[in-house]
Amino acid sequence: MALANTEIDELVSLERGEVDRRIYSDPEIFELEMERIFARSWLFLCHESQIPEPGDFFQSVMGRDNVLVVRQRDGSIKAMLNTCAHRGNAVCRAEEGNAKNFLCTYHGWSYGIDGRLNGVPGFKTFYDGQLDKSRHGLAQVAQVASYKGFVFGTHDASAPPLEEFLGATGRLGLDQIAARGDMVVVPGIQKFIIDCNWKIAVDNLFDWYHPQITHASAFQPGVMPTEAPNAAAREKIDLSEVNMDSGAALDLPATGISGTKFDQVVVIGEYGHAIGGPTASSSGNGVFDQTWRIGAEARAALGPVGVAVAGHPNIFPTTWIAVSVQLSLRIPRDPGHTEIWWFTFVDRNLPRETRDFMVTIASRVFGPGGVLEQDDGENWAQATAQTRGIASRRMKHQLTMGLGRGKIIKEGGLSRIEGLTAEHGQLWTYHSWAQWMKGLSWDELKKVTTPGEFI
Amino acid sequence: MQMSNEMKSVAREDRIAAMFLHYEVERFYYDEAALLDSHRYEEWIELFADDAHYFMPIRRTRMQRELDQEFTKPGEMAFFDDTKMLLAGRIKKLRSGRSWAEDPPSRTRHLITNVRILKDDGRTFEVESNFHLYRTRLNSEETSWIGSRRDVLRRVEGCFQIVDRKIFLEQTVLLSRNLSNFF
Repeated sequence: MALANTEIDELVSLERGEVDRRIYSDPEIFELEMERIFARSWLFLCHESQIPEPGDFFQSVMGRDNVLVVRQRDGSIKAMLNTCAHRGNAVCRAEEGNAKNFLCTYHGWSYGIDGRLNGVPGFKTFYDGQLDKSRHGLAQVAQVASYKGFVFGTHDASAPPLEEFLGATGRLGLDQIAARGDMVVVPGIQKFIIDCNWKIAVDNLFDWYHPQITHASAFQPGVMPTEAPNAAAREKIDLSEVNMDSGAALDLPATGISGTKFDQVVVIGEYGHAIGGPTASSSGNGVFDQTWRIGAEARAALGPVGVAVAGHPNIFPTTWIAVSVQLSLRIPRDPGHTEIWWFTFVDRNLPRETRDFMVTIASRVFGPGGVLEQDDGENWAQATAQTRGIASRRMKHQLTMGLGRGKIIKEGGLSRIEGLTAEHGQLWTYHSWAQWMKGLSWDELKKVTTPGEFI
Repeated sequence: MQMSNEMKSVAREDRIAAMFLHYEVERFYYDEAALLDSHRYEEWIELFADDAHYFMPIRRTRMQRELDQEFTKPGEMAFFDDTKMLLAGRIKKLRSGRSWAEDPPSRTRHLITNVRILKDDGRTFEVESNFHLYRTRLNSEETSWIGSRRDVLRRVEGCFQIVDRKIFLEQTVLLSRNLSNFF
């Protein structure tokens, strides 16, 4: 089962910019991911605003473990495995709600909202009072912590503290939402299943090469709702007249959604976090309003380098902060299936009208009905399917755009690469994925996922 | 049962009028389904009022005592939250020749059943219907969506217009990779 580290190095080559297709469909690799990535890494669980009152819970997923995130009476938050200590049945079947306790419907063991085992039917008569209830509560997630309201958990008691794990890159990613105001999650988490491998979905979030093709049908006037107040910004993304018979005929600089100059910045960080996409001033950022960055508080939170970074962050492994003020989780179900969850954020103090507008935009752009994402799933499913054929599988995925030409600039605690659209964000993610898969110590893992001079 | 008892108490002419209305509404839905299944979207959208709202809430598995919070409401997140203009945008997208999730186009069949007229003030009607939207895609992909629609229909110059459509799916986690079709 265990792959040797040399075999893992064969799967991802930073030098050649190649990824072995087996990583998208091999069940053994998937099992190893569950153990070495999803049972160790900090994973996003929910936002504090979803569970304001004592007893409020949200059911989340860590790897294949179902986790109850519950607000406590003292205001703190606990996360525990949704499995009875007796015979393993789930103690909660709702996705969210408010609970006074969690009752196992198998034999009636009942747990407090803190996970403590309170009631055991027949405790005196059948167990003779001999059961140590203090040892059979719901299993607590090893570490739970919040960063500005974003609740994360890890199964690994020896994992570094959340803020250290996030590092400057991960924190900047979450600040892309947090720095906009007093942010709360809008009720309703979109959940759907795409028949693709999770890494293909993660890879895509850094990909600013695909929108003008994949999303060509959305980038026409009247299709893509936009926040951009001026018509000039909207017209920039009009691809309706572009000849798509041949890729060679595509005049990218005139039509790319990432700007006439394709001015991009990629930030890469320890443990595999990365941010990739247009700078804040890139003309390609016309679809979404970037004026919130002008505020003094936002500038202070983002820092002098971060304020210009307006691409898509991924908190390794699966937490994407989308420019639509949404957070998307890519939850691996099996090698060929990924569950996508969308959390949508608004500033609590927004006027009703603005808030409603942001909410409707969110459902129109992303999610299964979104004019962008409905076409993404089609590509990812087919890309995953073509990793299964013996002959197809011999071909490697190519990530050579900008390879070896990404000069890493270290400033303000961040490592960044400036330039045109490239594949540095994806390369960094795959490189880090390979390091995680080796099962290194936390110190070693940090060392080998610390950016060097070039990528 | 309740319905049929009510029906007994009303005059014969009124019952005939109710049957006729029911027939008209059913015909309207069958024609609508035929437009969708033959990809005649430009004609389909003309069935909507200019101020129409097209909304598919998100459904959540909740305990029985919290079932009032099962579906999200307008102002909260949804799978669809569209105006007529946005629906027109979706049609434009489908017609672009680059709408990859629908090119080659899916094959769909809309089955509309259990039509019930819940409110009738002579001009606007609140109508509930059940649907089964069956889709196949490419060679082996198959999706089934079953649910109910609650419409507000308005009678304008002898025809119906859809003023409001709420679509309630019998799924919480959506079991399909996208929603690239109309309900």
